[in-house]
Amino acid sequence: MDLAERRGVETEVYQPAEDSALLASVAEDEVGSGDRVLEVGTGSGWVAEQVATETGADVVASDLNPHATRQARERGVEAVRADLVAPFRDGAFDVVLFNPPYLPEDAAAARDDWMETALTGGEDGRAVVDPFVESVARVLAPDGYALMLVSSLTGVDEVVELAGECGFSAVAMREESYPFETLSVLKLLPA
Amino acid sequence: MKESLMDVLCCPMDKSELELEVDDRADDEEVLAGTLVCTECGERYPIEDGIPNLLPPDMRDDVPA
Repeated sequence: MDLAERRGVETEVYQPAEDSALLASVAEDEVGSGDRVLEVGTGSGWVAEQVATETGADVVASDLNPHATRQARERGVEAVRADLVAPFRDGAFDVVLFNPPYLPEDAAAARDDWMETALTGGEDGRAVVDPFVESVARVLAPDGYALMLVSSLTGVDEVVELAGECGFSAVAMREESYPFETLSVLKLLPA
Repeated sequence: MKESLMDVLCCPMDKSELELEVDDRADDEEVLAGTLVCTECGERYPIEDGIPNLLPPDMRDDVPA
């Protein structure tokens, strides 16, 4: 099942797709076994579980959606219901992972369910990306960094520019092209 | 949730420390039910089925249809 099809079937929790796999593969290369990791917006918990299994790191997963935190916990991932990084301590994490809702909103396709919350990032696709970039530095340990998935549909340049304004240097770690979008994983390092 | 999770959690509103009140534990000592109480503002955050709900109170009931 491809990305577009998956977006159509499940109604409560976003299931792992190409974007999840790309974020997980970069994270598995970057995360060290002694790292403390937070995955924001974990959805099914698949990325958090992969990273914990493959690296041995201590991984916590958060989501706004109660169905998502339940699925993550069923995978054996420590889950917290949270708004982005709000309930986490200053400097608590070596790595923060985020595969955000990034599709620009399509009024005709508005569904008003948890899946829409998982997919759409408002009019420009950055309604959740922006507050994340603006708030994540607080919870990063010294030498900590964030790995965030961004789509060409969201506007990679705009995200990189905002990251710069928030004091990060942004590096594209890996890119994959699909018929309607190119997915990138950005590493945000506090400058 | 494991009690070690307390090391990374804080009140989502004022970032103060939380105090754990335990109502129920699993056989492996994991906390299944209880409350996290902010030591500063006194706000109470429920732990249900092993998952702490640390949404600020005004977001707790904001559920899509």
